[in-house]
Amino acid sequence: MTGAYLEVLLTGVTGFLGHYLLAELLAHPRVRCHVVLRPPVLRSCDRLERLLAEIGLDLRALMSQQRVVPIEGALPDGIANENFSKVDLILHAAGNTTFHGNGSGEPAHTNINGTRAMLSLAKATGVRRFVYVSTAYVCGDGIGHQPEAFSSTVPRLRNDYERSKWEAEKLVWEWGCKYGIATICRPSILFGHSATGRASATKGLYLVARATEILARAMDTKNSVNRHQIPLRILGRGDATCNIVPVDWAAQHIAQIALDNASESTVHHVTNPDPPTHHDVKTWLEAYFDIGGGQFSDATWPLEDPNHYEDLFYSLGNICRDYFRHGLTFESRCAAEIPTGRRLIDRESFARCIKYAQDTNWCRTSAETFELRRPAGNFDPKWYFENFLPRTVPRSIISQVDELTAIVKYTITGPVSGCWVCRFEKGQLLDVHTGVGSPRPQFEYRLSYDDLVDVVSCKRPLQEVFFLGRAEMLGDIERALKMVPIITEFLNQFPVTCSENDAAVSCTGEAC
Amino acid sequence: MLTDSTITEERVRISGKGRELEGLLAYPAVDARCAALIAGPHPYLGGDMLNNVVSTLVKALASQGSVTLAFNYGGVGASEGGPTDKPSTMSEFWKNGTFQEEFDWIDDAGSALASLRQWCDLPLVLIGYSFGCWAVARNLQQSCIEAVVLISPNPTQHDFEGLSSCPAPLLMVHSDNDFTCSVPAMMTWFESIREPKTRTQFPASEHFFRGHETAVATTVLAFLKHHRVLGS
Repeated sequence: MTGAYLEVLLTGVTGFLGHYLLAELLAHPRVRCHVVLRPPVLRSCDRLERLLAEIGLDLRALMSQQRVVPIEGALPDGIANENFSKVDLILHAAGNTTFHGNGSGEPAHTNINGTRAMLSLAKATGVRRFVYVSTAYVCGDGIGHQPEAFSSTVPRLRNDYERSKWEAEKLVWEWGCKYGIATICRPSILFGHSATGRASATKGLYLVARATEILARAMDTKNSVNRHQIPLRILGRGDATCNIVPVDWAAQHIAQIALDNASESTVHHVTNPDPPTHHDVKTWLEAYFDIGGGQFSDATWPLEDPNHYEDLFYSLGNICRDYFRHGLTFESRCAAEIPTGRRLIDRESFARCIKYAQDTNWCRTSAETFELRRPAGNFDPKWYFENFLPRTVPRSIISQVDELTAIVKYTITGPVSGCWVCRFEKGQLLDVHTGVGSPRPQFEYRLSYDDLVDVVSCKRPLQEVFFLGRAEMLGDIERALKMVPIITEFLNQFPVTCSENDAAVSCTGEAC
Repeated sequence: MLTDSTITEERVRISGKGRELEGLLAYPAVDARCAALIAGPHPYLGGDMLNNVVSTLVKALASQGSVTLAFNYGGVGASEGGPTDKPSTMSEFWKNGTFQEEFDWIDDAGSALASLRQWCDLPLVLIGYSFGCWAVARNLQQSCIEAVVLISPNPTQHDFEGLSSCPAPLLMVHSDNDFTCSVPAMMTWFESIREPKTRTQFPASEHFFRGHETAVATTVLAFLKHHRVLGS
């Protein structure tokens, strides 16, 4: 500590774990956090502000008090050395959770190159303490009890993600041997907040819950199969454990480990000492969604001859991955602090997390900070184009498509008809016009009221309506077509519930 | 698995370059005569394996004796991968009509072709629609191909040099009001291609062949039968 504050540089702060980590660090009055935010920093600040607001923190106030100092930078090569002056400790929590490389260079780009860059900066600027957030699954296909130690022997890694994390750990450990004190924290699978169920991302086990929801919805319709006897093979073992931990618990312990005075390099498992089994998780999900019948299976991915229900369940891909195969146990000093008999995740807390995820449309919404209410009664296109779009577009993916400049006309026919001309410039919706005096559109979408309702509620993709011949694109067809995927992404972010029975229901929007 | 009286359709997984792709494999109840790969339109322009033209071709070819594979490019449907920074790629696509990650989708077509070859040892037909024409042309060197079908290619945007190294009969299907390429530009390009080649022009079908899907499929089947890739 060089001054009144312990100066901590934190990466990954807009991530699921990262913003909880920031909150935990700031709970210590003598900690100042320098947070690395992707350019453009104003947009990243907005995102961080929303995330922190949801957990009761005011970013603007924290910035004015100099407790949080934003630094613009993108890993692995976009952070200037001069921004590292006076830093006592680097807490590197940025990571990419892509499991299999897809040609984009991830996850290696962020996880390996990003860590290497942070270590180089630490070395260049004389930072002596480096805390790295890794994963408990860096042990790969290992079996049995996993020690809190770095393994210099390459484990049997199952995917590119694990490999990238192990490579990054190796870099951190070697840096610790030469230049300072390295601390490696290995959380297991992060789940929602222990008290509120809140999450800001729904990957991992949440995908299994989403798949179960898809199946349950399908069973809500008339079906010849009993909803409690669904023929479904679940790839994995029921008796193996599912090591999930509440995100707030993980953040609390990682912050504590980071702020402890360490005299030597160490490894810490931030894992659940009494995790549920996959059978438990299956039972909890079945109870929550009121379905049943799935059986754990030794079958391999992809499933041979999947039935209709398996097609539905696995429509999100191989959601079980390798992690349902076998359970591991982890040595963990953190876990030793948990009172005997208290489970980090039980049926009630699990259900609370699933409910939160559902209520926020699987974290595509943020109910506390952003809510638009549709007027009661039938869906009104006028409200949609003149009220909903201007309020949601600035928060949406459209605003990030910097090159999008276009004048677009929407013509709605049927019982509730009208024309709206939307002017976009550099991804921003400048204005919406109706009637005489509207600017001349470059292209036009023409569809019926009923199809508009289906499209904005995500019941039917716009492109499908077009290919069915029920929507027309006029004018510059190429531009109209190019805008369809942008609109589709927007609609997925901001679906509107249009049922008359759901009058005044919340229209949801992504704030994550 | 979906089964009707003449063909079987099943969802398959394809090992791509660092990612798994979703595929739709359709095959006839009787012995197959050939294997066909269909590469669909650009994922950012509605390209998936359930596209109106692609799905019509899948059924038509399978019902006439072809093991037929359509697939979703990375990031589409249940295929893994795809651009990680969608706003940036959408921005670039809006501005330039192309972006670097498109080459991953070209590789996806190559992976699907490799899988199809692995699954069945039959004469191969490559069919591309729109962006898929480019994906096909870039993968012609990989295999011994019996016939090539390009539906609504865009030679003003994509290079089709790969065609010159493939002697297989070529069918080009296009519309007289395709927004991606004018008829004169299409004709000029078509005349520059090596023989043997056939061209079929559909009136007022735009780029999308909405309502003309069956006619397109019939044209493709007739071409394949003419060249004895499919039985008559």
